[in-house]
Amino acid sequence: MRSIILLTLIIIPGFVLGQSLELGGYLQTDDRVFLKEDLDLSWQDYMVSLQAQASPSDNVNFFSEIWLRSHGFSTINTTSDLEDKGKITPIKMELREAYVDIRGLLISSLDLKIGRQRIAWGAADKFNPTDNLNPDDLEDIWNFGRHLGSNSIKLSYYPGKFTIEGVFVPVFTPAVLPSGQWQKIFTPQFSMPPGIVIDNIYDSIDLPEISLKQSPIYGLKLSKNFFGFDLSMSYVYGRDDLPIPNLTVLQPAGDSGKFDIYTRLIYPKLQIFGADLAGEIKGFGIWAEAGLFFPEQINMLIDLSAIGMGQIDSVVLEDKPYFKYVLGSDYTFRNGIYLNCQYVHGFINERGNEALKDYLMFGMEWKLFSEKLKLMPANLGVEIGDYKKLKDNYAIIYSPQITYYPFDNTEISFGARLIDGKNTTTFGKAKDNDEAFVQVKFSF
Amino acid sequence: MLFKKSTLFIWALCFIPALIFCAEDLNAREILNKVDEVLLNAKDQQMVMKILIVDKKGNRKEREVLIYQKGDNKRLAKVVQPADQRGIGFLSLPGDIIYVYLPAYKKVRRIASHVKNNKFAGTDFTYEDMEPKRYSAQWSAQLLNADDTIYILKLTPQKENNSEYGGLVMYIDKDNFYPKKIEHFDKRGNMVKIMTNLKTEKINGYYIAREAEMLDLRTNNRTTLTLDSVKFDSGLSDDIFTERFLTK
Repeated sequence: MRSIILLTLIIIPGFVLGQSLELGGYLQTDDRVFLKEDLDLSWQDYMVSLQAQASPSDNVNFFSEIWLRSHGFSTINTTSDLEDKGKITPIKMELREAYVDIRGLLISSLDLKIGRQRIAWGAADKFNPTDNLNPDDLEDIWNFGRHLGSNSIKLSYYPGKFTIEGVFVPVFTPAVLPSGQWQKIFTPQFSMPPGIVIDNIYDSIDLPEISLKQSPIYGLKLSKNFFGFDLSMSYVYGRDDLPIPNLTVLQPAGDSGKFDIYTRLIYPKLQIFGADLAGEIKGFGIWAEAGLFFPEQINMLIDLSAIGMGQIDSVVLEDKPYFKYVLGSDYTFRNGIYLNCQYVHGFINERGNEALKDYLMFGMEWKLFSEKLKLMPANLGVEIGDYKKLKDNYAIIYSPQITYYPFDNTEISFGARLIDGKNTTTFGKAKDNDEAFVQVKFSF
Repeated sequence: MLFKKSTLFIWALCFIPALIFCAEDLNAREILNKVDEVLLNAKDQQMVMKILIVDKKGNRKEREVLIYQKGDNKRLAKVVQPADQRGIGFLSLPGDIIYVYLPAYKKVRRIASHVKNNKFAGTDFTYEDMEPKRYSAQWSAQLLNADDTIYILKLTPQKENNSEYGGLVMYIDKDNFYPKKIEHFDKRGNMVKIMTNLKTEKINGYYIAREAEMLDLRTNNRTTLTLDSVKFDSGLSDDIFTERFLTK
């Protein structure tokens, strides 16, 4: 049923709008293998993106994108599972976007965009502290900056040289978290009292009530070019799309002498004041982007009654503002080498002033042989948890890549992601996840 | 008297080239002004370009680009083909302000002028080659030669010109002041590219080349731009040259 609805979204505009319909998309394969003794496959994603666009008039534009994915591996456990194609070859269908864009609604300087859409705010490259309207899509941890589309309404008003955008997302949607071996990088470490053996960990998540009081996200942005620099200021009222625990209960696991842990998680309310800037100085591209986050306070009740330690109420998220920012620059040399450098304070999952870490990102691209080959030999990320104890608080990610373009619309990439660091850092926790990958993309 | 005559003759021999040089210098500037007039005469242009890239082995790649241009400093280009670049847009505004729209990221990005050295959509034309320009405002001209059909001008960049090229030699049709050929030199004085305008026609009162070919002498790659359609003076609104239109 779901498939029929999604395919209808592509086909109906064709019937309605006749010749103005344009179809396109791409096929992308992505195979990854862990660089360990057994060479376990860590990821397999074969995807077709189907895009449809139609413009029945100069002022109205329809766009939709659907992903059809053969993602992951067989999950059969019993012979009865062999009757289930969904378990044998997992197929996912995802509506990334489907919206109508109406230009010059009521007055010539007002646009309305309604439907499932991606609203990408921020001037920085992939790490955007002001990009908070769409939920993060962290399913693929290496695809930083990917977000889900949101069912939303966007109004854009262009008075003179200003641009004012207002966004209303009626229903909050949580972020997609990394799967499998990558889950641990967002999992906080905790220690148990001596002698306590954990059997199982359970959790539940409380989504906000679906009401106009509890679940909407609002956003407002004002942009203008001043003296050759693009500046914008923004405000978002919504929720953190990553959950935080507000209850943990230790319970005996039957008569085994072990214990179970139950945790309840919620999505805290959040206000974000943002600003960004982009321009150039002496031919170098420069950008800066910052978000001042005002979270609501979240207390966590830890119930250790089962071991006679009573209940502890502690603050896990203070209602104090914290500041995430990105500074970056890029340059292309005459020989075609492109360099990109960013300093990031505060990763996607980090919140609260004490938790924000620093990241230095460096990228290099070199197109050769009439742009048939693109080398990225120096893609490097350094995570610094604590400058004073650098030895125990760092992680390094090295991600060289080569892309070959044998023909138009065809690209073949291969490379590796090598991680080293300490368990105290986000990426250091994944230091055993070194992997190599091969990707093929064909656009049509 | 004879002495006087011969002295006069010698003086004349010394001064006449100098007088000619001054006249040529003045003429060079006038010629370049006329080139600008011809190239930028239309108030606005809207065109579809077919692009063919042929490398030294004969491998071919095709592109199609939609271009809007207004005056000498506003241009918006959208890639129509190939599929993997479809929808990518570039907006050039006065003051070296350049934006690129990447549909895959749903984002307009400001890019710095360093990108002007880069190839446009994988062709042998750089962004600088493709941008509208008033030569006389950025280049100093010197008349190298002239015959019955062409003027040959040597152009050197003025101080504030951040061109990737150290110089140009422009071959100009005497009949219509449209450049027939432009040789591009690097900062060391080596010829690196030759652009040839072919099939120059007068359409709606404006001269335009139906075909332009860029030969990159370093790679022996060749890119041919073929004008598929063109409209002049259709009254393009300033609203087209905005980020708002770029995302359309």
